[in-house]
Amino acid sequence: MGEREADGAAMTITVVGANHTTAPIELRERVHVDAESAAEVVSRLVGWDGIEECVILSTCNRTELYLHVSDVLSGERAALETLAARAGLTTSDAESFIYRHHGYETVVHLFRVAASLDSLVLGEAEILGQIGDAYEAGLQMPEGVGPVLHRLFQSGLAVGGAVRSETKLGCGAASIPSAAVRLAIKVFGSLEGRTAVVLGAGDMGETTLRCLLVEGASDVLVANRTPERAAETVARVGGRAVSMDEFWRSLSSADVLVTSTAATSPVITKRELAGARGATASPLVVLDIALPRDVESAVGELPSVFLYNIDDLQKVVGATHEARAAEVSSAEELIADHARRFWRWYRAREAAPVIRGLRAHAEAIRREEVERLLAGLDGLGDGDRRRIEASMRRMLNKLLHPSTVAVRRAALDPGGLSFLEGLRNALGLAPVPPDDAVPPDEAVAPGGVPAPEDGHGVAAETREEREAGNR
Amino acid sequence: MSAGGLALDGPDAAAMILALHLLALGLYAAAWVLQLREFRQGRESGHGGVRITAGGFVAHGAALALFTLTYRSLPLIGLGPASSSLALVMVLFVLAASIHADLRPAGLFLLPPVLLLVGQAVLVGVGPTAGQLAFRGPWFVLHVTAAFLGYAGLAAASAAAIMYVLQFRALKRKEFGSVFRFFPPLDSLDRLNKVGLAVGFPALTVGLLAGWSWTLTFGRGLALEDPQTILGMVTWGVYLIAIIARLRPGPHGERAAAISAAAFVVTVTAFLALRLLAGEPDFFL
Repeated sequence: MGEREADGAAMTITVVGANHTTAPIELRERVHVDAESAAEVVSRLVGWDGIEECVILSTCNRTELYLHVSDVLSGERAALETLAARAGLTTSDAESFIYRHHGYETVVHLFRVAASLDSLVLGEAEILGQIGDAYEAGLQMPEGVGPVLHRLFQSGLAVGGAVRSETKLGCGAASIPSAAVRLAIKVFGSLEGRTAVVLGAGDMGETTLRCLLVEGASDVLVANRTPERAAETVARVGGRAVSMDEFWRSLSSADVLVTSTAATSPVITKRELAGARGATASPLVVLDIALPRDVESAVGELPSVFLYNIDDLQKVVGATHEARAAEVSSAEELIADHARRFWRWYRAREAAPVIRGLRAHAEAIRREEVERLLAGLDGLGDGDRRRIEASMRRMLNKLLHPSTVAVRRAALDPGGLSFLEGLRNALGLAPVPPDDAVPPDEAVAPGGVPAPEDGHGVAAETREEREAGNR
Repeated sequence: MSAGGLALDGPDAAAMILALHLLALGLYAAAWVLQLREFRQGRESGHGGVRITAGGFVAHGAALALFTLTYRSLPLIGLGPASSSLALVMVLFVLAASIHADLRPAGLFLLPPVLLLVGQAVLVGVGPTAGQLAFRGPWFVLHVTAAFLGYAGLAAASAAAIMYVLQFRALKRKEFGSVFRFFPPLDSLDRLNKVGLAVGFPALTVGLLAGWSWTLTFGRGLALEDPQTILGMVTWGVYLIAIIARLRPGPHGERAAAISAAAFVVTVTAFLALRLLAGEPDFFL
């Protein structure tokens, strides 16, 4: 449904960007637009001829420039040059890692990004917040968000929320630390009020420690062969650093044990753990995320001890990915539905100035003819004059009604832009700046949902037009 | 006969009671099929099953309220009304458990007995029995109501126990399939088991004592040869063992769950055996 005019001179929405599938991390780092420089980049882009609105979405996995343009070729060239300059490349070199979408494809792209279908980790939740931040930042810039990108991003946020609530795309654990926490939750229901012990202050241990704290574990102890390292981790993330002696003592009351040391042989054996647990009957979840393993596999034979190693956690992650992949088609349906609605609104919006021009043109002729007619008729009373005026207005409205409907339909038709442009040229209408656009509410059917493209109705027939048709 | 303000006569009210039962049966079946599908797909349980169950509960409750208004008697006597009333109390447990999102999947195990009970009620008919008038009085109502609450509580405890055993094994064996994903966490199941026993066992005890008191009002003693008495005593006994298993020191989770699950099997087996031996087909036993 996406269209691109040969000369590029048509109002449309476009996105130009680079993401984790098209650009290596070194390039993504260079094109990244941080919060401080975003205003300057937006200001420069909107100052470019043909760009009306701009929002920058820049995360660790993508940098995308969303533009509402009156000249798509000019707008895309500006965006490409901006990204290429940031990457320190020529535009032709930058072409290989930069993608662009136009019109309806842009809408679908943003909605897929918001739904996390375009993310490195399918179904991750962070992207929705990042889109919200990008939109908010755009609102703070006077040149950034106008009526079109406002509605586009609002719709994108709504789609992202709908996909998360109406599908299971965001369910399950998608990383090793989150899988570890999920396993613990499958035993305890919640980690609130639970005691967790982390042995080893490496990267994976630290990430798991963060997850445990986020899930509300009330007492998280961190032990390391080098106590200073444990203290550093605790200072950075949270929890409580303990000595190795305290570590062994704490096992009697621990609910979760995470091990991630660099030891080359098991540091926790069945005998040692059984001794440390003593008569404790409550369950203990042991999450061994080290390689080589830190915990002897026989530990899993202890009653009420649930032992999982890195392979087990990988299985949980794999199962999550499979389950999420099964939800993609449902998410795509939701996205397509919302994208169609947005696109109908957008196209109907494009028709409004043409209809207004058509009506203004016809109204000028009507007024001229009525004045000429009345000037030649002497002796008419005020009542007669009003009746003639009303009759001519009704006639004009009836004549214009089919044309108005045709323009609305043309706006909804993928190939209708050229018709609208032709009509605009015939009426001598200039391209309409965004500020002159009709408000969104005028362009949608009651209930906020555009009327279906079924030939029985038009998407944005105003009350005046409907009455004109009935008169 | 007028049903309160509803102004339905006997045949109309009977037809309405049957229609509402059929509606409830359909909704319970739909809720169960939905949960079964979620389980097979390894999805976490959604709100859909609970909402449909709640719809069934409303229709079911309306049917029994209409029965009470029409026949001026609580639906506690006769195989049809008693089965239906017990099923309603069990659905109440399903809905109460579902307030805790973790425990929504409990319906997977609690709805099948509900379906059997409502289906049985529909098949035999939900109408008054010939001896309806003989079974009145506060002792009798307390006896049956408490016994139903007891059976429903123990059914909830048993459902939780069966799910606990299956989830425990999945976690121990590192099987991350449908059971792991769909079933609630062990701690939640353990709590449901505890609540089911805490509600069900005292209620059943009260029910048995009230039943004994009720027989005394006729000048009779405890009829140990009565199948209903036998079932009550067997159920009371096996769940007493389940409670003792929970209270014993040491790792109790799996052991208590296994005993609760076994208790349920014993109770159902005893019910079926006694039902076959019972001479009066119109009675609950």
